[in-house]
Amino acid sequence: MSTGEESHHMATAQSGNRKRRVGKASKSKKSKTLPPSSTRFKVTMKNQKLFQKRARDYNSDDDVEEDEEKKQPEVTIREKIFSDANMGPNYDEIEEGDDEEEEEEGSDNDEAVQSGITKFASDGGCNAFKIAFKAIMKKTKEDDILDPILSGRKPLIAKQLAEEEAEFKAKGQARKAKHLVAEKGHVKPGSYLDSHEKILIGVATKGVVKLFNAVNKAQHAQKGLNPSRSKDAKVLKKRRKEAFFSELGKTSKTDTKAQKSSTSNEDDAPGWAPLRDNYMLANPKLKDWDKKLETREGNDFAAMSGDESYED
Amino acid sequence: MARFKNNKKKGRVIVKPIAKKNQANVDHVTGDKIPKSFVFSRMKLPGSVKQLQMDLRKLMLPYTALNLKEKKRNTLRDFLNVSGPMGVTHFLMLSKTASSLSLRVARTPQGPTLTFKIHQYSLASDIAQSQLRPRCPQDLFQSPPLIVLSGFGSQELHLKLATIMFQNIFPAIDINTVKLSTCQRLVLLNYNKDTKLIDFRHYSIRLQPVGVSRRIRKFVQNHKVPDLRNLQDVSDFVTKAGYGSESEGDEEAATVTLSSDLGRANRGSTKSAVKLQEIGPRMTMQLVKVEEGLCSGGIIFSEYENVDGKKEKEKKKQNEDGEAEEEEDSEDEGEEGSAEEDGEDMDEDFED
Repeated sequence: MSTGEESHHMATAQSGNRKRRVGKASKSKKSKTLPPSSTRFKVTMKNQKLFQKRARDYNSDDDVEEDEEKKQPEVTIREKIFSDANMGPNYDEIEEGDDEEEEEEGSDNDEAVQSGITKFASDGGCNAFKIAFKAIMKKTKEDDILDPILSGRKPLIAKQLAEEEAEFKAKGQARKAKHLVAEKGHVKPGSYLDSHEKILIGVATKGVVKLFNAVNKAQHAQKGLNPSRSKDAKVLKKRRKEAFFSELGKTSKTDTKAQKSSTSNEDDAPGWAPLRDNYMLANPKLKDWDKKLETREGNDFAAMSGDESYED
Repeated sequence: MARFKNNKKKGRVIVKPIAKKNQANVDHVTGDKIPKSFVFSRMKLPGSVKQLQMDLRKLMLPYTALNLKEKKRNTLRDFLNVSGPMGVTHFLMLSKTASSLSLRVARTPQGPTLTFKIHQYSLASDIAQSQLRPRCPQDLFQSPPLIVLSGFGSQELHLKLATIMFQNIFPAIDINTVKLSTCQRLVLLNYNKDTKLIDFRHYSIRLQPVGVSRRIRKFVQNHKVPDLRNLQDVSDFVTKAGYGSESEGDEEAATVTLSSDLGRANRGSTKSAVKLQEIGPRMTMQLVKVEEGLCSGGIIFSEYENVDGKKEKEKKKQNEDGEAEEEEDSEDEGEEGSAEEDGEDMDEDFED
């Protein structure tokens, strides 16, 4: 049996796997740690692919020694080992690990210590492993949060989780309260126009209307005049005051009307713009084309200096 | 005194040792100094209050620092030192404590400080969301807003001080030379005597020609070719009596006659209606404290006054009268902006 297995083993793995033979040779001893073989098996890509191919192609029917006890799923298990296990430098260790496990499991069976791969192949080890694995999986399904092994900490961990929950809740509430305080007084208007707003808009509109009317009157009246003529300037100043007050209802309106009518006759200017006296002087933009930037008042003084004294 | 005028024209490169935009310091029409402001806060503000600060900055455009950056270690002193050479005249400071949000309006360098407690506020984005058609044309913030104060009265001194302060924050306009196209925004401050609350609103002004049928108006404004499929003749389109909108009744009261053309639709010497649409932040505030100095000095008025405060108040009242008068005299043509209409409780701000 053992020789058959040995030969089978050699068929599946390369002959360079002497470690296993060492393990198999010393059947009586159960060495937990196998001595690191001097001839380490270097796994290259080529070897890896070869192993995988062999595992895939393995069919128990080909082997005469292994008979009906072998089941098909073993092939897949073996394949899995080859593909899942680290095929790099850790190849040896993992094989050893499997080896150990199998040795542990296999000890129940009173059988010879076998290598990892053959353990899967043999029925006793496979079943025991299956049973143990299933038991663990079942247990872990029940409590998912807590570690099945460290089940003693269960109440402790539960308490910790409850504390954290409470903390988060308190923090959330504190944040909400802070937010409320920050937004205090901030009102989002529901509807755009309610009655109070309408009243306010009415008040504002009245003010604007008054202003525009005053502007209209003032500007209309002084269309013909310009600030650089002294006579006009005097009239302008007087009219400004009166127009202003009249708009506010302080002084009588008759004065302004009289002023307007008297000055309207003076504005009998020629039709063509450049012929008029105030061409290019009335427009504030054009007026200062040759002067540096002084105030309008200054200009006025400069224009009429020497002739008339400026009177208020 | 000759001053170099630097218009804030976009795209024009100003060659100066310090390459930054220079604004006119003096208004050449009235000869007054143009008031500039800083809006900032000395503490870390929560998210929506930061938005409110940004909205206030936009409101104060163009004479404010839009991208003002403040660091934690900046004190009021630092801001004061910077404000001198830059010609900044007013500070608006927001601060938030656990109990209240407050806005302080102060005049530099030693002017009085008004402290307002903000009871409620809404951001500009909230208001835009609540409107069906929010409106924000591009050049809306290129000229300073007008200000309308209403309900303040002229009896109580602290209210008077508040009136004067707000009027001076925005540059004055000269009604003889102002162009109506530059009056695009409006700030309204409405005082309610019963609740002592001030409503702060910010509107954009729009002019619509009146007396024109709705279809033609839309056609001219939107530049869209109308659908004439079902009409026999163009005259049908022009003369068809469409139903008027429900706000036409309000328009009657709001009609003005423009002195000049204002865009395509509103021609001079025809009637147009003034329409206001709210933009910008909305606040409800209450004046709680008036201090003599810049966040320091004696307390002139305090809403929650204690017994000692009363004595101080009387003492300081005389000082404050002197101050108020000084401010009034410094304005040209007299401080008539706070004149009242008979029968109408409205103050307006236009000065010569």
